[in-house]
Amino acid sequence: MQRTVSSSPLAPSVKVKLINAGFHTAADLVDLLPLQLCQEAGISQEEANEVLQALRHDSRLCQERAAEGCITALELLHCEQSQGSLVTFSSELDAVLGGGVSVGKTTEICGTPGIGKTQLCIQLAVDVQIPVCFGGLGGKAVYIDTEGGFLVQRAAEMARAAAEHCALLAEDTEQRAALEDFTLEKILSNIFLIRCHDYVELLAETYLLPNLLQKCAEVKLVVIDSIAFPFRHDFEDFSQRTRLLNSLAQQLNQLANQQQTAVVLTNQMTTKVSNGQSKLVPALGESWGHAATEKLILHWEEDKSVGVAKAAYHVSRTRATPPLSGSGRGKSSKRSPALPPCLVFCRSSSRKADGWPLSTSLPGKWKPLSNTKLRVKDSGMPV
Amino acid sequence: MRCKGVMVILREGICPGLTEEIIKALQAEDIRTVEDLVSSDAEELAQKCSVSYKALVAFRRVLLAQHAAFPVAGLDLYDELLSSTSILSTGNPSVDKLLDSGLYTGEITELAGGPATGKTQLCFSVAVSIAHEHKQNVLYICTNGGMCASRLLQMLQARTVKTDEQTYALQRIQVFQVFDVFSLLSCLQHLRAAGLQSSTVAGGSVKAVIVDSVSAVLSCMLGGKQNEGMSLMMQVAAELKMIAKDFNTAVLVTNHVTRDGRGQLKAGLGQSWSHVPRTRLLLQRVDRPGAPHGLRTATLTKSSRQVSAGLGFCSPPQYLTDNAEALETAVNTARLVLMGYHASLYMKRKFSTAFHSLQVLSVK
Repeated sequence: MQRTVSSSPLAPSVKVKLINAGFHTAADLVDLLPLQLCQEAGISQEEANEVLQALRHDSRLCQERAAEGCITALELLHCEQSQGSLVTFSSELDAVLGGGVSVGKTTEICGTPGIGKTQLCIQLAVDVQIPVCFGGLGGKAVYIDTEGGFLVQRAAEMARAAAEHCALLAEDTEQRAALEDFTLEKILSNIFLIRCHDYVELLAETYLLPNLLQKCAEVKLVVIDSIAFPFRHDFEDFSQRTRLLNSLAQQLNQLANQQQTAVVLTNQMTTKVSNGQSKLVPALGESWGHAATEKLILHWEEDKSVGVAKAAYHVSRTRATPPLSGSGRGKSSKRSPALPPCLVFCRSSSRKADGWPLSTSLPGKWKPLSNTKLRVKDSGMPV
Repeated sequence: MRCKGVMVILREGICPGLTEEIIKALQAEDIRTVEDLVSSDAEELAQKCSVSYKALVAFRRVLLAQHAAFPVAGLDLYDELLSSTSILSTGNPSVDKLLDSGLYTGEITELAGGPATGKTQLCFSVAVSIAHEHKQNVLYICTNGGMCASRLLQMLQARTVKTDEQTYALQRIQVFQVFDVFSLLSCLQHLRAAGLQSSTVAGGSVKAVIVDSVSAVLSCMLGGKQNEGMSLMMQVAAELKMIAKDFNTAVLVTNHVTRDGRGQLKAGLGQSWSHVPRTRLLLQRVDRPGAPHGLRTATLTKSSRQVSAGLGFCSPPQYLTDNAEALETAVNTARLVLMGYHASLYMKRKFSTAFHSLQVLSVK
């Protein structure tokens, strides 16, 4: 296999020396001893060792990949259909998202301040732990907090409400047995909270996440709340910020895909002025718009103090009128707006929600696209 | 004339008569590769090393013969082009019209657009159309986690209700998930070395390679103090071009957009990348008050066959047919293709005389 030296993941200065010495493919190098490489290429012993290790590791990975073959779309479909999804305890939001937040993809939640992004994230951190026999994922959650908005008391309220809700639903012995692991203490102990104070800590944490997730394979949700905050101040060089964000996006996508976890990011809104008009758009620039696979934008609808999200699917959709009020016991009534999307989607009956009365099963043949951005669309604020 | 594989190190046995001693003597004079030997002065070299002049000239002749490209007549190239090129429909008639009836094999086509403008949906539509209608295999390289097999199934269900046809079509689409540029290069090189035949379903050849998106892996390597980005970008471009040309496949890539100094949208990755795809399409959302919700416009910004134009389309399954937007100025129609890709076809259209006497070098 002709893996060239110039396309291998080596340090640029070392690559230049190797190419000048005349080594152009990995096959030229792999059989040499470190000392020989050292003399021929003029690099240090350490660098020679690193180069040989990297190239051999690379060729081993390629052979493994070749041996297992590639995956066809049919196999991918089976994987997707057998995966559960992460419910949000709001049936309309779940319906819009296609059953809940998708596992294995990155979801971005954007919204104006106070609309409930952190509340939704805390709710998801509780919901991911719902036992499998109740229709949940039975996993743990990693919560990376950059703003300091995680309130333990609120998480405790939501956990208690979720446990009570499941207790009411328990029908058979299996579910009752699972309830013993679904108590307030257990739920709170399965949320791993990491507090990052600036973007360097956040980037470092993202580099460490794959190792963490490999050691702790039950983690099914990673929340970063919020990703905009550390990048929006203290950054003079915008092009460097764009580059860092692009590489962060790729790492998060890779994490979601390889570890099969749901990654949820929260973003803020900023004002964009063009042609004398201003409109609210998600922060962090246009290139960040490509980062997440699914995007949910929430904003207030004029006088109603209600959060609205609308899907930009290209199939026909209906608009549900009254907002869902305080769905689930996980939301306290002090916070008047719930998170009702005014959109109801028809979903296929291929996914059952056993013992989950809150998600309404609607008739219809269309399965919503799980790969489309949701946009707020209002008469005054096109996005 | 460019030598293929010039950077081959001189080793014993690549040329009859080239022994280890001669190689050592040459290395002492800093001659390590074939290129160094071929471009050096033989007389001077014969004096400095203890190698005979005749032997050096013989080595040069043999190595040049081994590594040189050879000319091909224009007519042969034209015949080869006619017999091997196929045009693949994208599944959307409006986009097909814009692209001069579809994606051409042997070429790279680029879709550029902002977020949620339909690039991935159009890629899915191409994959489904090739797998279902043409019954050929498709390689889908996804770099940003946007692959959704349920959406492919939904598109297939809109075309046919027979589940076995849907199953066969899904089996013909092979998916690779890579997330950084080195893995992408490794994947492309491996595919090229294996001849694109890695575990294909029997009875079909690979007709399209879709890379969604190429800017996600390259944009984080460009700019700032990084000096490797351009080189990696050009390596990706070279691999894609070789895959397109050598295996007669259509390569479709997606790209993001940036704004230039005047605030106009343009495709990302800069000037150097803009020369890589042969055809470029810019996708935008339409936010007019009366427009249907899923409407997007596609503008042809670079083509060697058509005058640049634009039209509107909806992602499948609904689509508009005639909603042409304003024409933009023609770009690149004068781009002469003496590099061998479509030389004879272009010549035949433009100049009807004496093109078969033109010697065209096929550059690998």
